[in-house]
Amino acid sequence: MEVLARPYDLWEGIYKIWLVITVIIYAAVAIPSLIFMVKYRYKPGEREVGDHEHEGHWGLEALWTIIPLIIVLYLATHGFAIFTQMRKPPENALELRVTAFSWGWIFQYPNGKTVVASAIRDTEDKKCKPEECYGVDGVFQHYVYIPAGVPVKVLLTSQDVIHSFYVRAAGVTQDAVPGRTTYTWFQINEPGEYWVFCREYCGQWHSRMFAKLKVVPKEEFERWLRGETADGGHESEARKVANITEVREVVR
Amino acid sequence: MREAVHVERPWFSASLWEWIFTTDHKKIGIMYGVTSTLFFVIAGLMALGMRLELFSPGGQYMKPETYNYFLTVHGTVILLWWAIGIWSSFANFLIPLMIGARDVAFPRLNALGYWMFFAASVIALLTFIPGNHIMTMWTGYPPLAAKEGVGFAGTTALFVFIWHLTGFASIAGAVNFITTVIRMRAPGIGFWNLNLFIHGVIAANVIQLLGVPSVAGAVTMLFLDTYLKTSFFDPTKGGDPLLYQNLFWFYSHPAVYVMVLPAFGIISEIVSTFARKPIFGYKSMVVAIWAIAVVGFTVWTHHMFVSGIPDWVKILMSYTTLLIAVPTGIKIFNWVATLYRAAIVYRTPMLYALGAILMFLIGGLTGIPLGIPAFDIAVHDSYFVVGHFHYVLGMAVTLSAFGGFFYWWPKVTGRMYSEGLGKLSFWIVLVGSNLLYFPQLVIGLLGMPRRYYDYPAIPEWVTLHQIQTYGAFILALGLLIAMVALIKGAFSGERVGPNPWESNSLEWRIPSPPPPQNFDTPPKVEENFCPHGYRKL
Repeated sequence: MEVLARPYDLWEGIYKIWLVITVIIYAAVAIPSLIFMVKYRYKPGEREVGDHEHEGHWGLEALWTIIPLIIVLYLATHGFAIFTQMRKPPENALELRVTAFSWGWIFQYPNGKTVVASAIRDTEDKKCKPEECYGVDGVFQHYVYIPAGVPVKVLLTSQDVIHSFYVRAAGVTQDAVPGRTTYTWFQINEPGEYWVFCREYCGQWHSRMFAKLKVVPKEEFERWLRGETADGGHESEARKVANITEVREVVR
Repeated sequence: MREAVHVERPWFSASLWEWIFTTDHKKIGIMYGVTSTLFFVIAGLMALGMRLELFSPGGQYMKPETYNYFLTVHGTVILLWWAIGIWSSFANFLIPLMIGARDVAFPRLNALGYWMFFAASVIALLTFIPGNHIMTMWTGYPPLAAKEGVGFAGTTALFVFIWHLTGFASIAGAVNFITTVIRMRAPGIGFWNLNLFIHGVIAANVIQLLGVPSVAGAVTMLFLDTYLKTSFFDPTKGGDPLLYQNLFWFYSHPAVYVMVLPAFGIISEIVSTFARKPIFGYKSMVVAIWAIAVVGFTVWTHHMFVSGIPDWVKILMSYTTLLIAVPTGIKIFNWVATLYRAAIVYRTPMLYALGAILMFLIGGLTGIPLGIPAFDIAVHDSYFVVGHFHYVLGMAVTLSAFGGFFYWWPKVTGRMYSEGLGKLSFWIVLVGSNLLYFPQLVIGLLGMPRRYYDYPAIPEWVTLHQIQTYGAFILALGLLIAMVALIKGAFSGERVGPNPWESNSLEWRIPSPPPPQNFDTPPKVEENFCPHGYRKL
């Protein structure tokens, strides 16, 4: 079965295991609690003092030490196994260099083509209506083209402060730290538009630091990458990058 | 040398002079309580402001910098003033009473600690001046935080001094409380029959003593980087911003146990008193408290799972993080077992304590996946995290703090709070909190990042934000009623005797409110003294 996005499928697996265990544990604690709360109420003349015999029971206490211990060891080990798979980008991955800045990312494709996704700030840039602030306007925001069904390895760094890179559909988050390169990878199988958000607080317009991934069939992506489609060549993009760096200097 | 002001009058009839120069642990406890609660209210009002802003997508009435300022103060104040500071109030008032001492070991250091805390409070209020708004979030990560220090007074400096001053108060308190409990217990009270509240507080203070220097160092380096252009955290000059995160979380993760262990202690006190039976598994409770305090120091990198640290560190600290669930589970199971064959009296403190247990369980169970890197990678820095720690801090800590207020109110004021209003407040708080915090977990799983002033109009997100805002106002109403119930009780409540709850603990054997010197003669406890249990009058 084809999944919508990877490694989200792996995440869903561990999410379901956690959810089932959590509901069972919650019920195992809450149901007896509620029964005791109702059953052992204070009743004048009948039940005025609690039972002073039950001050502890080593067997029981050992039981509720060992069972949770087994559960958490299982969860940590299962998580370990899944995490190892999650962190390994497939061999044939498309490599995307992503540089974060305040507030946006510059995406660089293997052939040198760049795309800028920059926040639309309503006080400094222009007044945007709520529905426009998260739109792709072709001035600040540009679609980030991604081939469908192809794994993408993202090499992240930052120009200024710590940012992050979260692909909502794929369920991956990775910080972009100045002075080091971090990585993550994802793959989206279904063409469409997908959200990317910054999740590490990075100052004033942190909340508007987003990008829109435009996932298209592989052939269309190739054509776009060669600059054969209408949506921008990399020369004008590069100029905008320079503009953004300028703006940033002024803000500082 | 001039003597510190003698304690001659009980706290309610003392002059202003006596309040300012007092070294009496009860007065200092009350001053901590008033300061913390005042700041809790301020931080709560700021949260209401943020909830209104988030009610619908787009900027409503705030600028992003105002929102970021509100969020920074909300976080800093709730953590340092409320979740940590409020326990200084309880610890000051109760430790000497529970162990049969006349005061803490170093009363003047204690007073100095409070006034340092007061100074931090003044600095926190200074940030309200336009131009002084701190917008670094309570974590103050460089390089961002090191770039903010260009305001009117230098906002990074304000941020750093808040940490230094509250840190000083924490260390002064820790030295004091630890020494007091080691040296000043009445004969017959030892490690294995101390109140669980004292175990909780002392474990918390050991964490403070060992952890605060780490965060104090981190913010000092931040200060130097900002103003003297050193390069501890500046990557362009060979520094490393992740060093700050390591030093910061080395304290600030254990700090959550500073917040929650005293809350566990209060829950244990209240549950055993109103169940009218000794706490189940006292010894495993004590072991669990100390295990949490020790293991808590080995888990900090789960805050950095996506920051670029090596994968093997994530796995290592994933195991230690999940291990904390075991002693925490022991405590929860023991509380439930305490209810077995009990004679539960439903008064307001008991409702708050039972609510705290069942809500903390949600906080704990949603914390487990955050310790698993494979799970965390999708929800790191999302509202799921926000929901998780609000279940712990907004519910477990706040419900037990209010439970503690109601429980010891007759002891502190000599008068009973208003029971009807108290119970009403609990149910409103419970409904409001769940409407506020549960949608945070859901919206986090749906991807909503935290610390967002604005968000795209994704329909589920909008609905879930609106429910949160309604919940926030219901919660605020509940807390308001709780405060009315307490204040009304203090002025016009029925007068109470020494032991209205029929508890066996030592603080209930002296008049309410306690006389200036607490115990006229050193108290003698019976053989096999156990502070938890029922005591006939």
